[in-house]
Amino acid sequence: MTNTDTVVDFDVALIERARKGDSRAFERLYRDHVGRVHGLCLRMTRNPDLAADCAQDAFIKAWKALPRFEARSSFSTWLHRIAVNTVLEKRRGPSNAEMAVEDPTEYAEAVLSFDTPVEEEELEAAIQSLPQGARDALVLCGVYGYEHSEAASMLGIAVGTCKAQLHRARGLLRDRLERGVR
Amino acid sequence: MTIRRVNRIDELAQNLPPARDLWPAISAAIEAERANAPAQPAYRRSRWLPAAGMAAAVALVTLGVFIGRIIAPPQMTVASTPTSQGSPDVIPAALRDANYRKQRESLLVEVQNRLEKMPVAERDKVKASLATLRRSIGEIEAALGHDPANALLQELLVSSCQEEMRALTAVRDAGSQET
Repeated sequence: MTNTDTVVDFDVALIERARKGDSRAFERLYRDHVGRVHGLCLRMTRNPDLAADCAQDAFIKAWKALPRFEARSSFSTWLHRIAVNTVLEKRRGPSNAEMAVEDPTEYAEAVLSFDTPVEEEELEAAIQSLPQGARDALVLCGVYGYEHSEAASMLGIAVGTCKAQLHRARGLLRDRLERGVR
Repeated sequence: MTIRRVNRIDELAQNLPPARDLWPAISAAIEAERANAPAQPAYRRSRWLPAAGMAAAVALVTLGVFIGRIIAPPQMTVASTPTSQGSPDVIPAALRDANYRKQRESLLVEVQNRLEKMPVAERDKVKASLATLRRSIGEIEAALGHDPANALLQELLVSSCQEEMRALTAVRDAGSQET
């Protein structure tokens, strides 16, 4: 889950500085990561204003939590976890109801490919039309490449539920793309 | 206007910047938090080190296998040096000094001579360590090319160049004491 090795390497030095209270270093981290954090929030909330608020809050929380950041995960993953938490908090309600899972292992494939190329805008619209739980799983696993275990942990759901939600999302997405536009 | 098409969902752009810059509000919140904080927390030494420093450390440890038993700590008369590839615009002033450049060039010649006399296995090890250092320096220079005024990157560059000079000096001195 890294953009480039160079970015990651400089993250380490910037994080060190930011942990010491250097807000300029934290601003660099913000500039490097805000696009992906905001993209994640936007796809989860479907609301540009709310997504911007969530991204902003996520960075403020990250600044406060920076002394507790450890190298167990990448900074990017850590930030995304905070962003997902922020989105979930703003939703204020049960958002990821557990789904019955027959055999979660059969739903493990996260990558969704298409027989013919799909317009990006059309695909984004189809993702936005998905139910919340399915959309969350698809965004985290399909678009941002997180493993089911990581996505499930971020969303506060079981791994099996995440797999089931993704499976559901894939089916709905294909159906909507075929039915809606093509 | 071109319409972008994708074959897979993971080809969608991950990077979607917000319409407005969020930093002013974030910065204000940080300042407000600082103002409310009773005192600046004491600095906790982290296990993390700057990446370039890590690369330098790895390279120096490898070099140490070769020179560690042979030499006393070398006399460091050179504080730092620039690399040959970096644009002058992005190199900190301390590294643009002609004396440093001259000393480094001279050192490189001596080290090259020393390397040619080494057994192949040791030579490869030393070359790999020096290459690691230079790669770190190159990455920092590349980043500085995009952000020349970045003080952190400048510090990293100076530090990495110092590590390279220490390594070069150690290799040279190892040769002089062996022969």
